Amino acid sequence: MIRFTTLSQEWRKLGGLASVACLLIGCAGVPPQQLRTARAAVNDAKASTPAQLAPVELDNAKQALARAELAFEDGEEEQIIKDLAYIAERKVAISISAANLEAAKRSAKQSGRDRDDARDAAYASAKQQLGKTQDALAEQQRKAERDADEAKRLAAEEKRRLEAAKKKGKAEVARVKKQLEKEQLARIAAEKKAAAAMASLAQIAKVKEEKRGVVITLSGSVLFATGQHKLLPIANSRLDSVAKALKDQGFTKIIVEGHTDSRGAPSTNEALSLKRAQGVRQHLISRGILKAKITAVGHGPRRPIAENKTTEGRANNRRVEIVVK
Amino acid sequence: MRFASCLLVVAIGVTACGGAAVPHDKLSSAKAAMRAAEVAGAPNDPQGALRVKKAGEAIAHAEKLIKEDENERASYVLERAQVDAELALALAQELTMRGEAEEAQREVAKLKAEVAQ
Repeated sequence: MIRFTTLSQEWRKLGGLASVACLLIGCAGVPPQQLRTARAAVNDAKASTPAQLAPVELDNAKQALARAELAFEDGEEEQIIKDLAYIAERKVAISISAANLEAAKRSAKQSGRDRDDARDAAYASAKQQLGKTQDALAEQQRKAERDADEAKRLAAEEKRRLEAAKKKGKAEVARVKKQLEKEQLARIAAEKKAAAAMASLAQIAKVKEEKRGVVITLSGSVLFATGQHKLLPIANSRLDSVAKALKDQGFTKIIVEGHTDSRGAPSTNEALSLKRAQGVRQHLISRGILKAKITAVGHGPRRPIAENKTTEGRANNRRVEIVVK
Repeated sequence: MRFASCLLVVAIGVTACGGAAVPHDKLSSAKAAMRAAEVAGAPNDPQGALRVKKAGEAIAHAEKLIKEDENERASYVLERAQVDAELALALAQELTMRGEAEEAQREVAKLKAEVAQ
Protein backbone atom coordinates (compact mmCIF):
# COMPACT_ATOMS: atom_id res chain seq x y z
CA MET A 1 0.00 0.00 0.00
CA ILE A 2 2.72 2.37 0.99
CA ARG A 3 4.62 1.38 -2.09
CA PHE A 4 1.51 1.95 -4.25
CA THR A 5 1.07 5.37 -2.68
CA THR A 6 4.68 6.18 -3.24
CA LEU A 7 4.41 5.00 -6.78
CA SER A 8 1.25 7.08 -7.33
CA GLN A 9 2.98 10.09 -5.97
CA GLU A 10 5.97 9.42 -8.17
CA TRP A 11 3.73 9.02 -11.27
CA ARG A 12 2.03 12.29 -10.46
CA LYS A 13 5.41 13.95 -10.13
CA LEU A 14 6.49 12.29 -13.39
CA GLY A 15 3.29 13.54 -15.07
CA GLY A 16 4.00 17.02 -13.91
CA LEU A 17 7.53 16.77 -15.23
CA ALA A 18 6.24 15.44 -18.55
CA SER A 19 3.94 18.43 -18.83
CA VAL A 20 6.86 20.71 -18.17
CA ALA A 21 8.85 18.79 -20.76
CA CYS A 22 6.01 19.08 -23.27
CA LEU A 23 5.96 22.81 -22.77
CA LEU A 24 9.72 22.88 -23.20
CA ILE A 25 9.62 20.93 -26.49
CA GLY A 26 6.67 22.84 -27.88
CA CYS A 27 3.95 20.22 -27.66
CA ALA A 28 1.24 22.87 -27.67
CA GLY A 29 -2.41 22.17 -28.44
CA VAL A 30 -2.76 24.93 -31.00
CA PRO A 31 -0.81 24.26 -34.23
CA PRO A 32 1.48 27.03 -35.41
CA GLN A 33 0.32 29.37 -38.16
CA GLN A 34 2.75 27.83 -40.69
CA LEU A 35 1.20 24.43 -40.17
CA ARG A 36 -2.31 25.78 -40.60
CA THR A 37 -1.23 27.56 -43.77
CA ALA A 38 0.38 24.38 -45.09
CA ARG A 39 -2.78 22.40 -44.36
CA ALA A 40 -4.90 24.94 -46.24
CA ALA A 41 -2.44 24.93 -49.15
CA VAL A 42 -2.55 21.13 -49.40
CA ASN A 43 -6.36 21.14 -49.23
CA ASP A 44 -6.54 23.78 -51.96
CA ALA A 45 -4.13 21.83 -54.12
CA LYS A 46 -6.17 18.65 -53.70
CA ALA A 47 -9.19 20.43 -55.13
CA SER A 48 -7.38 22.06 -58.06
CA THR A 49 -5.13 21.28 -60.98
CA PRO A 50 -2.18 19.71 -59.17
CA ALA A 51 -4.44 16.78 -58.26
CA GLN A 52 -4.91 15.97 -61.93
CA LEU A 53 -1.74 17.31 -63.52
CA ALA A 54 0.93 16.80 -60.86
CA PRO A 55 -0.22 13.92 -58.61
CA VAL A 56 3.33 12.83 -57.71
CA GLU A 57 4.35 16.30 -56.60
CA LEU A 58 1.08 16.71 -54.71
CA ASP A 59 1.73 13.41 -53.01
CA ASN A 60 5.17 14.68 -51.99
CA ALA A 61 3.47 17.74 -50.51
CA LYS A 62 1.00 15.56 -48.63
CA GLN A 63 3.83 13.46 -47.25
CA ALA A 64 5.67 16.60 -46.17
CA LEU A 65 2.51 17.82 -44.45
CA ALA A 66 2.07 14.44 -42.77
CA ARG A 67 5.62 14.71 -41.53
CA ALA A 68 4.87 18.15 -40.10
CA GLU A 69 1.64 16.90 -38.57
CA LEU A 70 3.50 13.97 -37.00
CA ALA A 71 6.09 16.35 -35.66
CA PHE A 72 3.28 18.43 -34.21
CA GLU A 73 1.59 15.39 -32.75
CA ASP A 74 4.89 14.20 -31.37
CA GLY A 75 5.30 17.53 -29.77
CA GLU A 76 8.46 18.42 -31.64
CA GLU A 77 10.04 21.79 -31.29
CA GLU A 78 7.94 24.57 -32.76
CA GLN A 79 10.78 25.61 -35.04
CA ILE A 80 10.98 22.09 -36.45
CA ILE A 81 7.21 22.05 -36.99
CA LYS A 82 7.51 25.44 -38.68
CA ASP A 83 10.36 24.18 -40.87
CA LEU A 84 8.44 21.09 -41.85
CA ALA A 85 5.28 23.13 -42.47
CA TYR A 86 7.36 25.52 -44.59
CA ILE A 87 8.70 22.57 -46.54
CA ALA A 88 5.17 21.18 -47.02
CA GLU A 89 3.92 24.56 -48.20
CA ARG A 90 6.82 24.90 -50.62
CA LYS A 91 6.15 21.43 -51.94
CA VAL A 92 2.55 22.46 -52.54
CA ALA A 93 3.91 25.44 -54.49
CA ILE A 94 6.17 23.03 -56.39
CA SER A 95 3.16 20.83 -57.18
CA ILE A 96 1.24 23.87 -58.42
CA SER A 97 4.18 24.93 -60.55
CA ALA A 98 4.54 21.35 -61.81
CA ALA A 99 0.83 21.34 -62.68
CA ASN A 100 1.27 24.62 -64.49
CA LEU A 101 4.28 23.20 -66.26
CA GLU A 102 2.26 20.17 -67.31
CA ALA A 103 -0.59 22.39 -68.48
CA ALA A 104 1.87 24.51 -70.44
CA LYS A 105 3.39 21.34 -71.91
CA ARG A 106 -0.01 20.12 -72.96
CA SER A 107 -0.85 23.54 -74.36
CA ALA A 108 2.45 23.59 -76.25
CA LYS A 109 1.77 20.10 -77.51
CA GLN A 110 -1.71 21.08 -78.64
CA SER A 111 -0.31 24.24 -80.18
CA GLY A 112 2.25 22.07 -81.90
CA ARG A 113 -0.52 19.95 -83.35
CA ASP A 114 -2.46 23.09 -84.26
CA ARG A 115 0.69 24.50 -85.82
CA ASP A 116 1.16 21.32 -87.83
CA ASP A 117 -2.48 21.49 -88.90
CA ALA A 118 -2.13 25.16 -89.76
CA ARG A 119 1.07 24.42 -91.68
CA ASP A 120 -0.69 21.63 -93.52
CA ALA A 121 -3.57 23.99 -94.24
CA ALA A 122 -1.15 26.72 -95.31
CA TYR A 123 0.70 24.22 -97.49
CA ALA A 124 -2.56 22.98 -98.98
CA SER A 125 -3.69 26.55 -99.53
CA ALA A 126 -0.37 27.51 -101.09
CA LYS A 127 -0.47 24.37 -103.21
CA GLN A 128 -3.99 25.17 -104.32
CA GLN A 129 -2.99 28.74 -105.05
CA LEU A 130 0.05 27.51 -106.91
CA GLY A 131 -2.15 25.15 -108.88
CA LYS A 132 -4.49 27.98 -109.76
CA THR A 133 -1.59 30.21 -110.73
CA GLN A 134 -0.08 27.44 -112.83
CA ASP A 135 -3.42 26.82 -114.50
CA ALA A 136 -3.82 30.54 -115.16
CA LEU A 137 -0.29 30.74 -116.55
CA ALA A 138 -0.87 27.68 -118.71
CA GLU A 139 -4.11 29.19 -119.99
CA GLN A 140 -2.33 32.49 -120.67
CA GLN A 141 0.39 30.62 -122.50
CA ARG A 142 -2.15 28.65 -124.51
CA LYS A 143 -3.97 31.87 -125.34
CA ALA A 144 -0.69 33.54 -126.31
CA GLU A 145 0.12 30.55 -128.51
CA ARG A 146 -3.32 30.66 -130.05
CA ASP A 147 -2.98 34.41 -130.62
CA ALA A 148 0.47 33.91 -132.10
CA ASP A 149 -0.84 31.15 -134.37
CA GLU A 150 -3.76 33.32 -135.37
CA ALA A 151 -1.47 36.27 -136.02
CA LYS A 152 0.81 34.01 -138.04
CA ARG A 153 -2.12 32.64 -139.97
CA LEU A 154 -3.46 36.15 -140.63
CA ALA A 155 0.00 37.33 -141.66
CA ALA A 156 0.36 34.39 -144.03
CA GLU A 157 -3.12 35.03 -145.38
CA GLU A 158 -2.33 38.71 -145.78
CA LYS A 159 0.91 37.82 -147.51
CA ARG A 160 -0.91 35.45 -149.84
CA ARG A 161 -3.57 38.08 -150.45
CA LEU A 162 -0.93 40.73 -151.14
CA GLU A 163 0.97 38.41 -153.42
CA ALA A 164 -2.23 37.53 -155.23
CA ALA A 165 -3.11 41.22 -155.44
CA LYS A 166 0.39 41.99 -156.60
CA LYS A 167 0.19 39.25 -159.17
CA LYS A 168 -3.26 40.38 -160.18
CA GLY A 169 -2.07 43.95 -160.25
CA LYS A 170 0.86 42.99 -162.39
CA ALA A 171 -1.40 41.08 -164.70
CA GLU A 172 -3.83 43.98 -164.71
CA VAL A 173 -1.03 46.42 -165.42
CA ALA A 174 0.19 44.18 -168.20
CA ARG A 175 -3.34 43.79 -169.49
CA VAL A 176 -4.01 47.52 -169.30
CA LYS A 177 -0.66 48.24 -170.85
CA LYS A 178 -1.39 45.78 -173.58
CA GLN A 179 -4.86 47.22 -173.94
CA LEU A 180 -3.42 50.72 -174.06
CA GLU A 181 -0.88 49.65 -176.57
CA LYS A 182 -3.61 47.95 -178.54
CA GLU A 183 -5.82 50.99 -178.26
CA GLN A 184 -2.92 53.24 -179.09
CA LEU A 185 -2.17 51.11 -182.11
CA ALA A 186 -5.84 51.09 -182.99
CA ARG A 187 -6.00 54.80 -182.52
CA ILE A 188 -2.91 55.32 -184.61
CA ALA A 189 -4.39 53.00 -187.17
CA ALA A 190 -7.73 54.76 -186.95
CA GLU A 191 -6.02 58.11 -187.19
CA LYS A 192 -4.07 56.88 -190.16
CA LYS A 193 -7.21 55.47 -191.58
CA ALA A 194 -9.07 58.68 -190.86
CA ALA A 195 -6.22 60.70 -192.26
CA ALA A 196 -6.18 58.52 -195.31
CA ALA A 197 -9.96 58.77 -195.61
CA MET A 198 -9.79 62.50 -195.20
CA ALA A 199 -7.00 62.65 -197.72
CA SER A 200 -9.05 60.64 -200.18
CA LEU A 201 -12.07 62.80 -199.36
CA ALA A 202 -10.02 65.90 -199.96
CA GLN A 203 -9.52 64.71 -203.51
CA ILE A 204 -13.25 64.57 -204.20
CA ALA A 205 -14.64 67.16 -201.79
CA LYS A 206 -13.75 70.09 -199.69
CA VAL A 207 -13.01 69.04 -196.10
CA LYS A 208 -12.92 71.63 -193.39
CA GLU A 209 -12.63 71.45 -189.59
CA GLU A 210 -15.22 73.76 -188.09
CA LYS A 211 -16.68 74.36 -184.66
CA ARG A 212 -19.73 72.19 -185.45
CA GLY A 213 -17.48 69.33 -186.62
CA VAL A 214 -15.71 68.16 -189.77
CA VAL A 215 -17.59 69.57 -192.72
CA ILE A 216 -17.38 67.74 -196.06
CA THR A 217 -18.73 69.93 -198.79
CA LEU A 218 -19.84 68.37 -202.06
CA SER A 219 -20.75 70.62 -204.95
CA GLY A 220 -24.37 70.33 -205.98
CA SER A 221 -23.48 70.32 -209.68
CA VAL A 222 -21.50 67.14 -209.19
CA LEU A 223 -24.34 65.36 -207.41
CA PHE A 224 -27.54 66.55 -209.00
CA ALA A 225 -28.84 67.96 -212.24
CA THR A 226 -30.39 71.44 -211.97
CA GLY A 227 -33.71 71.39 -210.11
CA GLN A 228 -33.43 67.58 -209.58
CA HIS A 229 -32.86 65.60 -206.45
CA LYS A 230 -31.88 62.30 -208.06
CA LEU A 231 -28.20 61.50 -207.71
CA LEU A 232 -26.10 61.59 -210.84
CA PRO A 233 -24.16 58.43 -211.71
CA ILE A 234 -20.90 60.16 -210.96
CA ALA A 235 -22.32 61.16 -207.60
CA ASN A 236 -22.70 57.52 -206.65
CA SER A 237 -18.98 56.83 -206.92
CA ARG A 238 -18.11 59.97 -204.99
CA LEU A 239 -20.58 59.20 -202.24
CA ASP A 240 -19.22 55.67 -202.13
CA SER A 241 -15.82 57.16 -201.42
CA VAL A 242 -17.37 59.39 -198.73
CA ALA A 243 -19.15 56.40 -197.21
CA LYS A 244 -15.94 54.39 -197.25
CA ALA A 245 -14.09 57.23 -195.56
CA LEU A 246 -16.73 57.71 -192.88
CA LYS A 247 -17.44 54.08 -192.22
CA ASP A 248 -15.84 52.60 -189.10
CA GLN A 249 -14.39 55.93 -188.02
CA GLY A 250 -16.28 56.06 -184.74
CA PHE A 251 -18.24 59.18 -185.49
CA THR A 252 -21.25 59.62 -183.27
CA LYS A 253 -23.43 61.74 -185.51
CA ILE A 254 -23.57 62.63 -189.20
CA ILE A 255 -25.80 65.40 -190.45
CA VAL A 256 -26.43 65.72 -194.18
CA GLU A 257 -27.40 69.29 -195.03
CA GLY A 258 -28.85 70.31 -198.34
CA HIS A 259 -28.29 73.89 -199.61
CA THR A 260 -29.52 75.71 -202.76
CA ASP A 261 -28.84 79.08 -204.38
CA SER A 262 -31.38 81.88 -204.09
CA ARG A 263 -32.98 81.48 -207.46
CA GLY A 264 -36.53 80.16 -207.50
CA ALA A 265 -39.16 80.01 -204.81
CA PRO A 266 -37.72 79.55 -201.33
CA SER A 267 -40.21 76.83 -200.44
CA THR A 268 -39.25 74.92 -203.56
CA ASN A 269 -35.60 75.31 -202.70
CA GLU A 270 -36.28 74.20 -199.11
CA ALA A 271 -38.00 71.05 -200.31
CA LEU A 272 -35.36 70.42 -202.94
CA SER A 273 -32.53 70.82 -200.50
CA LEU A 274 -34.19 68.39 -198.08
CA LYS A 275 -34.84 65.83 -200.76
CA ARG A 276 -31.24 66.09 -201.96
CA ALA A 277 -30.02 65.67 -198.39
CA GLN A 278 -32.30 62.67 -197.91
CA GLY A 279 -31.02 61.17 -201.14
CA VAL A 280 -27.44 61.51 -199.98
CA ARG A 281 -28.38 60.10 -196.59
CA GLN A 282 -30.06 57.11 -198.16
CA HIS A 283 -27.07 56.41 -200.33
CA LEU A 284 -24.69 56.57 -197.39
CA ILE A 285 -26.99 54.20 -195.42
CA SER A 286 -26.97 51.85 -198.36
CA ARG A 287 -23.17 51.90 -198.14
CA GLY A 288 -22.98 50.85 -194.55
CA ILE A 289 -23.36 54.03 -192.49
CA LEU A 290 -25.58 53.36 -189.51
CA LYS A 291 -29.07 54.72 -190.03
CA ALA A 292 -29.45 55.88 -186.48
CA LYS A 293 -26.35 58.03 -186.71
CA ILE A 294 -27.25 59.91 -189.80
CA THR A 295 -29.89 62.62 -190.31
CA ALA A 296 -30.82 64.87 -193.20
CA VAL A 297 -31.90 68.52 -193.18
CA GLY A 298 -32.73 70.99 -195.94
CA HIS A 299 -31.70 74.58 -195.46
CA GLY A 300 -32.63 75.87 -198.88
CA PRO A 301 -30.90 79.15 -199.71
CA ARG A 302 -30.74 80.36 -196.13
CA ARG A 303 -27.08 79.51 -195.51
CA PRO A 304 -25.14 80.70 -198.53
CA ILE A 305 -21.38 80.53 -198.51
CA ALA A 306 -20.98 82.84 -201.54
CA GLU A 307 -22.73 85.65 -203.46
CA ASN A 308 -25.80 84.49 -205.35
CA LYS A 309 -25.32 87.28 -207.93
CA THR A 310 -22.61 85.48 -209.84
CA THR A 311 -22.75 82.16 -211.55
CA GLU A 312 -19.75 80.93 -209.60
CA GLY A 313 -21.25 82.12 -206.35
CA ARG A 314 -24.52 80.37 -206.98
CA ALA A 315 -22.64 77.21 -208.01
CA ASN A 316 -20.82 77.26 -204.66
CA ASN A 317 -24.04 77.78 -202.76
CA ARG A 318 -25.63 74.73 -204.38
CA ARG A 319 -24.04 72.11 -202.33
CA VAL A 320 -24.45 69.27 -199.87
CA GLU A 321 -22.56 69.47 -196.59
CA ILE A 322 -21.94 66.38 -194.54
CA VAL A 323 -21.24 67.45 -190.95
CA VAL A 324 -19.48 64.76 -189.06
CA LYS A 325 -19.32 64.99 -185.23
CA MET B 1 17.01 8.72 -7.08
CA ARG B 2 14.51 7.44 -9.59
CA PHE B 3 13.16 10.97 -9.98
CA ALA B 4 16.61 12.24 -10.71
CA SER B 5 17.13 9.53 -13.33
CA CYS B 6 13.89 10.43 -15.11
CA LEU B 7 14.79 14.11 -15.11
CA LEU B 8 18.13 13.23 -16.63
CA VAL B 9 16.44 11.20 -19.36
CA VAL B 10 14.15 14.11 -20.24
CA ALA B 11 17.02 16.55 -20.16
CA ILE B 12 19.01 14.34 -22.45
CA GLY B 13 15.99 14.11 -24.74
CA VAL B 14 15.63 17.87 -24.83
CA THR B 15 19.28 18.62 -25.49
CA ALA B 16 20.09 15.65 -27.73
CA CYS B 17 20.31 17.82 -30.93
CA GLY B 18 23.95 18.61 -30.71
CA GLY B 19 24.86 15.01 -31.24
CA ALA B 20 23.53 14.68 -34.84
CA ALA B 21 25.88 14.01 -37.73
CA VAL B 22 26.88 16.78 -40.14
CA PRO B 23 24.27 16.78 -43.00
CA HIS B 24 26.78 16.65 -45.84
CA ASP B 25 24.37 15.01 -48.26
CA LYS B 26 21.64 17.58 -47.66
CA LEU B 27 24.14 20.40 -48.02
CA SER B 28 25.41 19.03 -51.33
CA SER B 29 21.89 18.33 -52.55
CA ALA B 30 20.67 21.83 -51.66
CA LYS B 31 23.64 23.46 -53.39
CA ALA B 32 23.12 21.29 -56.49
CA ALA B 33 19.43 22.16 -56.55
CA MET B 34 20.26 25.86 -56.31
CA ARG B 35 22.77 25.62 -59.16
CA ALA B 36 20.22 23.75 -61.27
CA ALA B 37 17.69 26.52 -60.63
CA GLU B 38 20.25 29.15 -61.58
CA VAL B 39 21.20 27.30 -64.77
CA ALA B 40 17.51 26.95 -65.65
CA GLY B 41 17.20 30.75 -65.52
CA ALA B 42 15.32 31.11 -62.25
CA PRO B 43 17.10 34.39 -61.36
CA ASN B 44 15.54 35.99 -64.44
CA ASP B 45 12.06 35.80 -62.91
CA PRO B 46 11.23 37.77 -59.73
CA GLN B 47 9.59 34.80 -57.99
CA GLY B 48 12.38 32.46 -59.05
CA ALA B 49 15.02 34.98 -58.03
CA LEU B 50 13.41 35.30 -54.59
CA ARG B 51 13.42 31.52 -54.15
CA VAL B 52 17.03 31.26 -55.23
CA LYS B 53 17.92 34.01 -52.78
CA LYS B 54 16.07 32.25 -49.98
CA ALA B 55 17.80 29.00 -50.80
CA GLY B 56 21.18 30.72 -50.80
CA GLU B 57 20.50 32.39 -47.51
CA ALA B 58 19.32 29.10 -45.99
CA ILE B 59 22.42 27.28 -47.22
CA ALA B 60 24.63 29.99 -45.73
CA HIS B 61 22.67 29.79 -42.47
CA ALA B 62 23.00 25.99 -42.45
CA GLU B 63 26.75 26.20 -42.99
CA LYS B 64 26.99 28.55 -40.06
CA LEU B 65 24.93 26.17 -37.92
CA ILE B 66 27.15 23.27 -38.96
CA LYS B 67 30.18 25.24 -37.84
CA GLU B 68 28.46 25.76 -34.54
CA ASP B 69 27.83 22.01 -34.37
CA GLU B 70 24.05 22.58 -34.63
CA ASN B 71 23.78 19.80 -37.19
CA GLU B 72 20.19 18.78 -36.58
CA ARG B 73 18.97 22.36 -36.95
CA ALA B 74 21.18 22.75 -40.01
CA SER B 75 19.54 19.66 -41.48
CA TYR B 76 16.08 21.26 -41.32
CA VAL B 77 17.38 24.55 -42.67
CA LEU B 78 18.95 22.69 -45.59
CA GLU B 79 15.66 20.97 -46.28
CA ARG B 80 14.11 24.41 -46.50
CA ALA B 81 16.91 25.49 -48.84
CA GLN B 82 16.29 22.37 -50.91
CA VAL B 83 12.56 23.06 -51.42
CA ASP B 84 13.19 26.73 -52.16
CA ALA B 85 15.71 25.76 -54.83
CA GLU B 86 13.40 23.09 -56.24
CA LEU B 87 10.54 25.59 -56.33
CA ALA B 88 12.79 28.08 -58.13
CA LEU B 89 13.70 25.39 -60.66
CA ALA B 90 10.01 24.43 -61.12
CA LEU B 91 9.07 28.07 -61.64
CA ALA B 92 11.85 28.53 -64.19
CA GLN B 93 10.79 25.40 -66.08
CA GLU B 94 7.16 26.51 -65.96
CA LEU B 95 8.10 29.94 -67.25
CA THR B 96 10.17 28.49 -70.08
CA MET B 97 7.42 26.10 -71.09
CA ARG B 98 4.82 28.85 -70.96
CA GLY B 99 6.96 30.93 -73.25
CA GLU B 100 7.26 28.04 -75.68
CA ALA B 101 3.50 27.43 -75.56
CA GLU B 102 2.79 31.11 -76.19
CA GLU B 103 5.27 31.16 -79.06
CA ALA B 104 3.60 28.13 -80.58
CA GLN B 105 0.19 29.77 -80.20
CA ARG B 106 1.47 32.93 -81.86
CA GLU B 107 2.88 30.86 -84.69
CA VAL B 108 -0.47 29.07 -85.08
CA ALA B 109 -2.33 32.39 -85.15
CA LYS B 110 0.12 33.75 -87.77
CA LEU B 111 -0.25 30.66 -89.94
CA LYS B 112 -4.03 30.77 -89.66
CA ALA B 113 -3.99 34.45 -90.60
CA GLU B 114 -1.80 33.65 -93.69
CA VAL B 115 -4.19 30.89 -94.70
CA ALA B 116 -7.18 33.19 -94.22
CA GLN B 117 -5.67 35.81 -96.62
